[in-house]
Amino acid sequence: MHLPAIKELLYKIADDQLILGHRNSEWTGMGPLLEEDIAFSSMAQDKIGQSLALYTILQQLGEPPPDTVAFMRQGSEFHNCIFVELPNGEYDFSLVRHFLYDTGIAIRFEMLTSSSFQTLAELSTKIKGELRYHTLHANTWIKQLGSATPESINRLQTSLEYALPFALGMFEESPFEKDLAEQGIFDGEKILQERWQKKIGEVLAQTRLQLPPWNTIEIATGGRVGKHSEHLQPLLDEMSEVLKIDPSAEW
Amino acid sequence: MKSIDPRVNRLPKMGQPGKIIPKTPMDQFGTFEVFVQPKEGKPFQHEGIVHAPNIEMAYVLAKEAFTRRFACTSLYVADTHHIFVSEMTEGNENAYDRIAGKGDNSGNEEYYEIFHLLKRGKQHIHAGTVRARNPQQAMAHAKDQFKGKSVLNVWSLRTADIRFTSPEEKDLWVTLPDKKFRDASDYKGGDKLKEFLDRMQS
Repeated sequence: MHLPAIKELLYKIADDQLILGHRNSEWTGMGPLLEEDIAFSSMAQDKIGQSLALYTILQQLGEPPPDTVAFMRQGSEFHNCIFVELPNGEYDFSLVRHFLYDTGIAIRFEMLTSSSFQTLAELSTKIKGELRYHTLHANTWIKQLGSATPESINRLQTSLEYALPFALGMFEESPFEKDLAEQGIFDGEKILQERWQKKIGEVLAQTRLQLPPWNTIEIATGGRVGKHSEHLQPLLDEMSEVLKIDPSAEW
Repeated sequence: MKSIDPRVNRLPKMGQPGKIIPKTPMDQFGTFEVFVQPKEGKPFQHEGIVHAPNIEMAYVLAKEAFTRRFACTSLYVADTHHIFVSEMTEGNENAYDRIAGKGDNSGNEEYYEIFHLLKRGKQHIHAGTVRARNPQQAMAHAKDQFKGKSVLNVWSLRTADIRFTSPEEKDLWVTLPDKKFRDASDYKGGDKLKEFLDRMQS
């Protein structure tokens, strides 16, 4: 087993889940309606729970404990894509990001259910139901608001066009693509991206939203190698603010 | 005013303090009734309502609003308008005694789900299924089917009007038992407080 390749894979998925989980949790208590506030907060918890599961696997592979890697690293040490660290903006952007991201992560974990890395395959199988709910939630909202009123359609369309370059950054390739594929650990970002584009297209085709041609979208990369936007560090500072008051405190 | 919650400080400024902008009437979503099956083999029970623009959204929102904590194996929702309710009764009067006649024969024969209220202050619980041409007739058929049973209230609901959990969606609740962090008791706040107070005293 190629350890650096596996670690790179685990870190990027875990960091994506942690950062977006934290971002989405910022809506708690401020959601557009009570039921949606609860649902969005629950899914944010699921994401953070999934990141914990991945950091725990990393710990078994010799990395520091989950709390340390989650709260004590600098921004440049995070491997998440830039997409997940962008501020929430208004709910239309948060929903569009939820749709684009969760479609991707669901396919990623589905691919990983047949990974030769048994521990990761088992985790991916276990969380299938959570991911099913997240994509059901996202697709239902996108279909609803993507065909509802001129305002809802315009808002989603604007957010979609803004989000797509960052969304494609989710599939920034790792230096280990070949190793991972050869060893049956993960089939790679290219295959994932193809499947994702197909699925995104299928859902959007059921709405009045327009998907721009893929080849016209400029990709925002860098996140996977620690090159982040100015939005990540403030998020990390806020997330770890209480812990850093007294890192030795028992909770 | 600055909040200690940084999220609040980031909110856009809206309106003027003390000035209430009136809402347009009827700007809320309609309601949908939520039924939950707590355990495999147990009947579905009514848990409450969600607001939603349509039945699919209602299902999606009901899942977290009503089944994010306690054991759940399945869920379904129906538009409140589609629930046919028997006359209200007082005390221990049997609601079936107020259902007279057989109902007319309009409509096609279809399945209807029957729910009973057995105790005041509790939920309606699924009792069984009948075939009928309309909700009134379903009530009458239920009266025959549940002969001798005393209930406080009866609901009938056309089966076709329900958004059920599909067999492949049964995995939605697989990881629920792991989410103990959603139970206040799991934090053992009382124990920690006691420990703290003991430490302060000594």
